Amino acid sequence: MSAIRLEHLVKQFGAFTALKTMDLTIEDGEFMALLGPSGCGKSTTMNMIAGMERPSEGRILFGDRDMAGVPMGRRGVGFVFQNYAIFTHMTVRQNLDYGLRMGGRPKAEIASRTKAIADLLQLSDLLDRPAQGLSVNILQRVAIGRSAVMEPAIFLLDEPLSNVDAAFRAVMRTELKHLQRQFRQTMVYVTHDQLEAMTMADRIAVMDHGVLQQVGTPLQVYNDPANTFVARFIGAPGMNLLKGRPVETPQGVAIDLGAAGISPVLPPPQAAAARSAKAGVYYGFRPEQAHLVSAGQGLALPVTFVERIGARSILHLGNGDTAVKGVFENDLRATLGETAHIAPIGEAVRLFDAGSGAALRGH
Amino acid sequence: MNRSLSFEVFRYAAILGALAITLIPILWMVSMAFKPIPEWQATGDALTWIPKAPTLDNFRFIFGESSSNLIVALDRTAAKPILSSLLSASIGTLIAMSAGTAAAYGLSRFGSGANLPLALIQLRLFPPMAVMIPVMIMWSFLNMMDTWWGLALIYGIVTLPFAFWLMKTFFDDMPREIEEAALVEGCSRARVFWRITLPMMRAPLASAALFVFILNWSDYLIALLLTTREWVTIPVYMASLSSSMTGQLYGAKAALGLIAAVPPVVMGILIQKHLVRGLTFGALKQ
Repeated sequence: MSAIRLEHLVKQFGAFTALKTMDLTIEDGEFMALLGPSGCGKSTTMNMIAGMERPSEGRILFGDRDMAGVPMGRRGVGFVFQNYAIFTHMTVRQNLDYGLRMGGRPKAEIASRTKAIADLLQLSDLLDRPAQGLSVNILQRVAIGRSAVMEPAIFLLDEPLSNVDAAFRAVMRTELKHLQRQFRQTMVYVTHDQLEAMTMADRIAVMDHGVLQQVGTPLQVYNDPANTFVARFIGAPGMNLLKGRPVETPQGVAIDLGAAGISPVLPPPQAAAARSAKAGVYYGFRPEQAHLVSAGQGLALPVTFVERIGARSILHLGNGDTAVKGVFENDLRATLGETAHIAPIGEAVRLFDAGSGAALRGH
Repeated sequence: MNRSLSFEVFRYAAILGALAITLIPILWMVSMAFKPIPEWQATGDALTWIPKAPTLDNFRFIFGESSSNLIVALDRTAAKPILSSLLSASIGTLIAMSAGTAAAYGLSRFGSGANLPLALIQLRLFPPMAVMIPVMIMWSFLNMMDTWWGLALIYGIVTLPFAFWLMKTFFDDMPREIEEAALVEGCSRARVFWRITLPMMRAPLASAALFVFILNWSDYLIALLLTTREWVTIPVYMASLSSSMTGQLYGAKAALGLIAAVPPVVMGILIQKHLVRGLTFGALKQ
């Protein structure tokens, strides 16, 4: 009943197109993350679902019901804002039970539901404190509680964790996921933080420049990015992408990567796909899926930087425009300027058309 | 921070200078209000800050209780002008603030009437006299001359742009998400305005209202043109406190001035917290 269907959704602000023909179905009870950089249209999409913005074209359906003309108060959605939008002239309790009071629910019900949500979010001790002056972390909890207490079938969260501090963000990621498991709402979660999307979402919709790039489970978008944008955007660091041309070698088809040398030979399906790419290809592999090999194998590039991030070390290799990163154990030994030999492991290689940027699936 | 001594000296001298310019006239008025006639026009050594023979005669005089020491008899007491000023200035403030706040909210949230802000302020582009003479003719046609409500209405009109501009800035600064959060929970637009927006706007509303009230309260020109006898305001009445025989009745004027200073000062103290606090909306990060 509370599945969300977006059909040919377009949003223009004057001459600027914020969202170009978006089609997306969010299943009932699904946790969908809208992920993308600033200005990709994810918040605009969310605001249209909530009813704050009117679509320029297209339809939004909740279940089978067209939402056109339904005001936001009647859509039965909960909305949590990035800046928590707390009513500072009220107490925590008044904030939490605001929607229930507006709905004219019986006093006993208001009290019990408010208490339940306060317990769940550990706000019980603060109920009668004025909202003014509480910490950012608490305020965002109150904001989440204020929406959750209404038990909306659809819960919309617009970067709810981007203003809270890092430690609290980690806590809230698990709490939000629990909250969603408990109430089984359809959740739409806008974020530019891929960690949030990867850890919480059932599926991720990756967006850029108002265009939906890929929809899939966290592993799908990580393992099989639909295009070079998704490949670069997902992962930290993003996928290595080296421009090259297919070349025939005695062992089979490989990619000539210019400064980095010739790639290892491609398996047959990818070889066929690479041959068909007229504009050349991007040769891609995850920095985590690379290993160091002996001279004569793999890609040979000088070390430009070693980034030690505690658990891991990120090895930066580069020569002019060609740059490759590899993620290794933290005891990695490397000398700046020295040539390192790196190769993707097993089936880690992904090819993309250099013209369109689309993935060459090779099967 | 380690500032040099000369800088500190200069800093305090500047502060004291500014304070003196602001406070000396006021203190002189206070002193004057309690001086008997002979001290009004004292010169040289006879001039003192503290009245030598403090008296409440000036206050008694303007309220008509005693004129024994003064040669002139007043044709009316200060009571009615004080009432007139209070009524016209506060009702005028109410008109300007309600209309200005509503207009500012509409423009800030719905963006309609993009030319309205400038249209509103154009009344101020003309010299006040050029505006007030036609108003005077209209008011006499409408039988509103020399009435407190006629005065209140024109006060509301001329200070409306100030109320509007101040409130518009405040509304523009208030994040929309707060209202949208309430709207999403099923609150109507009108209810959001009354229950969320206005309560959160208490501080800005109070500052704007005080500002508008002071403008109305200290008006002289409009009241001079639109009132003649019954409903003259404090400033107009004050101008009449002179006589051909004694010249300016300084003590009486000072006494009246002291009374006139009370409402704005009291209001200022009451909302001081809001004035100082400025416009931080607390729980919102931009």
